[in-house]
Amino acid sequence: MADHDRRHGGGSSYNPKKRRYREDDDFDRRGPPRHQQQRRFDAPPHVRVRKQLIAIAENPMRPWHDEAQAIATLFTDNWDDELLRANFVDLVLQLAVEQPLKTPFTAAVVLLANVARPEVVDLLLGKLAGLVEGGIRAGEWRAVKMYLKLLGCLQGCLEGEGVFPVLEELFARAVDLQTASSEDTIGTEIVKIILLTLPYVMVAAPGQWQQKAADLMEKTEIIASEPHTLQALVEPYHPESGEDNTAPSQSLIGVLQTQLQNEANNGWELACLPRPWELPLGEVEQQSKLDSAAKHALPTITVPETVVAGSRPLFPEVFFSVYQNQEVESVPPITSAASCLIRDALVDTINVLHINRNITARHLIDLDCYFAPRTFTARATPFDKIRDIEPPKSSWKPEDVAVDAVFSQLFQLPNAEHKLVYYHSVLTEACKLAPAAIAPSLGRAIRYLYRNSQRLDYELTNRFMDWFAHHLSNFGFTWKWTEWVDDVELPDIDPRKAFIRGAIDKEIRLSFAQRIKNTLPDPYKELISPDKEKDVPDFKFADDDTPFAAEGREIAALLKRKAPDEEIDAVIQRIQSLAIDRDLDALVASTDVFVTCVLHVGSKSLSHVLAAIERTKDRLADAGAASDAARGQIISATMAYWSAHPGVAVSIIEKLLNYSILTPATVINWALVARAGATRGEALATAHIYELVFNTVVKVTTRIRQLALKPTPTPTPTPTPQPDTAAAAAPENAPATLDAEVTSMRALFGAIEDALVSWAAGSKDEMMEASDGDGDGDGDGDGEHERLVRRWGERWLRVFRRRAAIEEAFLVEAARERARRAAEDEGEDEAAAAAGGAAGKGVEGQEMVVEGEGA
Amino acid sequence: MRGPRTTVERLDQPSAYFVNRNKRRRFDGKDQRDADDDVNMQPDQPEDDPLKDATTLYVGNLSFYTTEEQVYELFSKCGEIKRLVMGLDRIKKTPCGFCFVEYYTYQDALDCMKYIGGTKLDERIIRTDPDPGFIEGRQYGRGRSGGQVRDEYREDFDEGRGGVGRAVQQQRVRDRERQDNDDDYGRLR
Repeated sequence: MADHDRRHGGGSSYNPKKRRYREDDDFDRRGPPRHQQQRRFDAPPHVRVRKQLIAIAENPMRPWHDEAQAIATLFTDNWDDELLRANFVDLVLQLAVEQPLKTPFTAAVVLLANVARPEVVDLLLGKLAGLVEGGIRAGEWRAVKMYLKLLGCLQGCLEGEGVFPVLEELFARAVDLQTASSEDTIGTEIVKIILLTLPYVMVAAPGQWQQKAADLMEKTEIIASEPHTLQALVEPYHPESGEDNTAPSQSLIGVLQTQLQNEANNGWELACLPRPWELPLGEVEQQSKLDSAAKHALPTITVPETVVAGSRPLFPEVFFSVYQNQEVESVPPITSAASCLIRDALVDTINVLHINRNITARHLIDLDCYFAPRTFTARATPFDKIRDIEPPKSSWKPEDVAVDAVFSQLFQLPNAEHKLVYYHSVLTEACKLAPAAIAPSLGRAIRYLYRNSQRLDYELTNRFMDWFAHHLSNFGFTWKWTEWVDDVELPDIDPRKAFIRGAIDKEIRLSFAQRIKNTLPDPYKELISPDKEKDVPDFKFADDDTPFAAEGREIAALLKRKAPDEEIDAVIQRIQSLAIDRDLDALVASTDVFVTCVLHVGSKSLSHVLAAIERTKDRLADAGAASDAARGQIISATMAYWSAHPGVAVSIIEKLLNYSILTPATVINWALVARAGATRGEALATAHIYELVFNTVVKVTTRIRQLALKPTPTPTPTPTPQPDTAAAAAPENAPATLDAEVTSMRALFGAIEDALVSWAAGSKDEMMEASDGDGDGDGDGDGEHERLVRRWGERWLRVFRRRAAIEEAFLVEAARERARRAAEDEGEDEAAAAAGGAAGKGVEGQEMVVEGEGA
Repeated sequence: MRGPRTTVERLDQPSAYFVNRNKRRRFDGKDQRDADDDVNMQPDQPEDDPLKDATTLYVGNLSFYTTEEQVYELFSKCGEIKRLVMGLDRIKKTPCGFCFVEYYTYQDALDCMKYIGGTKLDERIIRTDPDPGFIEGRQYGRGRSGGQVRDEYREDFDEGRGGVGRAVQQQRVRDRERQDNDDDYGRLR
């Protein structure tokens, strides 16, 4: 099918240049564009149906029922076209999981086609049931949800109770799982899916299923209203202990349950959902045909006894919004089902359309096309104007709803589904498509996040900072910095000031100091030191007052001319003996000189410094291995040399970790004990120190995850030629290395915990000394400083405790998965022994179901 | 892995440049009629597709002034960078507006195509294209005057890429000289 389409539709299969030239030619001839017209009408029905179905509901000027009817007629009129028949069903199913906002509309086409050609629904239901079943078996819960939504929209043409038996069966599994373990997340996910399917069923077959729905919701209530044990792991806010408004975020399923209860009490009004299958009054005849069209039996969907979590780790979810508590309601309130239903469709859209961020952005901008008319205000209505909107009219700004949905994903804890930069790019594209509409919404979001930056989880504050700088870099670095100008006066340890400093540093890293300076109001300019504008940092040994200046210059010269090791050795020896004379740590002194010289020699660019490190890596490794203090000094020297450009320092340290010149423990110890201690805790408020520690932890955990998954590689489309040899060799080796790595990871998290606990508790020596020492003069200032440091400690602690917890959870899950695979292999071996080579095929077949999901 | 054609275009596909270059190579010397069938041959192609697990990206339309560090800062958002090779003017050995970014994984490279290609770095929209891998020598511009070919005859003034194309610059200088000569010539008469 694909090939056929491409040739007719895209026109890109053969030489595009020629084609374009010919088109130009058409326009030049003044007569009627014959070729063009012919081409358009020539397109075979399956191409036209595909094109129209994919673009369904995109045009706001076209009434839904017209469009759906046109496609349905085109389809049923060409029923004999076999290609079309097969393609249609597949395309409807594919759209359900690729463009979920369009599901109600494609469902309407199916319902209308059912009038003339009821067979198509049987064809569709057969495949759909298979996909739902396959999705459940593989734990692909989002696909299950999206297929069930389609099924829910078809409730009107289903026999008997339609979707309800499936939902009930699923619920039974959820109950089992939840009773078995309070930490279960699959059951939570299932309940979410049930609650999100229900509204579509209720609008597809209005007035019929209220009792059924009530019964089901009575059951889900028990699970939905119970706060989940793991909810703390995903809580986006981390208020200070003394704060008043510390109500934790509400769980998504809890919110949903309440919202749907309200809807049930109002006769399932569900005003926001589109009902393209409801024809206007003028079409009574067609409507009655639609209503009396054939009903179909839904093939049995078997839910396996044990269900799995699938490829994406599941966590409970909370409802996050950056537009809560505004004086005017610009997004649906949390009491309205619209908030969760629209959010759900948008979030699915965002996460499944990662293959094309431009289309994602388009869907977000056009979101009012996919919901009931009058759900939103006109696009790009200024926030000031929505104040004047009188109640029955909606004050919900489509832009705010769209932006809110993206932020909910960018700020998803413990991890976002995709790389964070994807969500950055979606916001960038949305802003490019409709700057006048989106930019002001982003502005309000930024203000909200800035205001709440001290309440936000620290990991999220950093995601915000990173996005903010990256976003500005795409839009000429323009931001109304003047509104935060008073905060420049705050001490560096204040969270708002920390944000400003971190954001400016990130901006400079993507650009250069002079450029960023020009975008900032005067008071901010002092935050950019003159050192940042130098091409290359100063070489401290150029100054004769620096200890070991002569030796430093000598080593730099030797390094530059790639002198043999012995010559460098001699100078190092000299430094060490001088250091001993001066009562200094000899190893630390020589390491500092040597590392600084390597950095100086490689100061021109990262490539230069990497080449310099490559040449000297043995000596660096030896220096690091000599003592903890020397190892720490490698970091100190790097950070000192690149103090004006901490981004470069962070990159270099990352490479030093790759060379094993540094260990993760050194980095942690340097940052959280040495550096934080030397700055009386202020280092904890420095964004690049967090970045350094966070990146190091991510490096360690990523490696562990790779190892943990290694023994049985994830199924890839290319079949491994000799599975037995590969499988036999790996499991014996891997667990040993894995165990060792896990032990050191735990030790690392332990070290982080120990260091941070004392900062959070205020029991750090440096803090005690400070408050003891000058308690007489400005005691208040110190008290405030101490409070802020403690608060930073708490915030860091929460981030890394969560990291540790999810890694442990991952290891448990990975071990379970390995066991499952092993059991499967064993079973396979037995089967193979019994039935010869047939077993391998069986497993392959099973995977096919999983992979064929999009088919 | 490649399922049925998606309902939206994927952004992690190689550009026409690479596809065409490859096609040209593959069908070099073959009967032109064969080329028409190449659409149908596609299912067999992945076997020898040089971009199958490409971890390297060609990055284009950089400013001449964009530094390695800036590239690092942006491209690290898709994963750790294994190697970065800046494109240099063959003669002057200064950056000439492109680079190769190599990641550790194929997935990171694909994600980079999807999330970074077509966004701005140093306030220019940059272009990314999967690449079969860096080979020594490819870091140099292949234009006549040392830079990239595309900068040779460019007529629009692009501040970040050395003004107008060098060939165009030279042409203009020549034109001006000729004009001057013409004037002199006329005066002598």
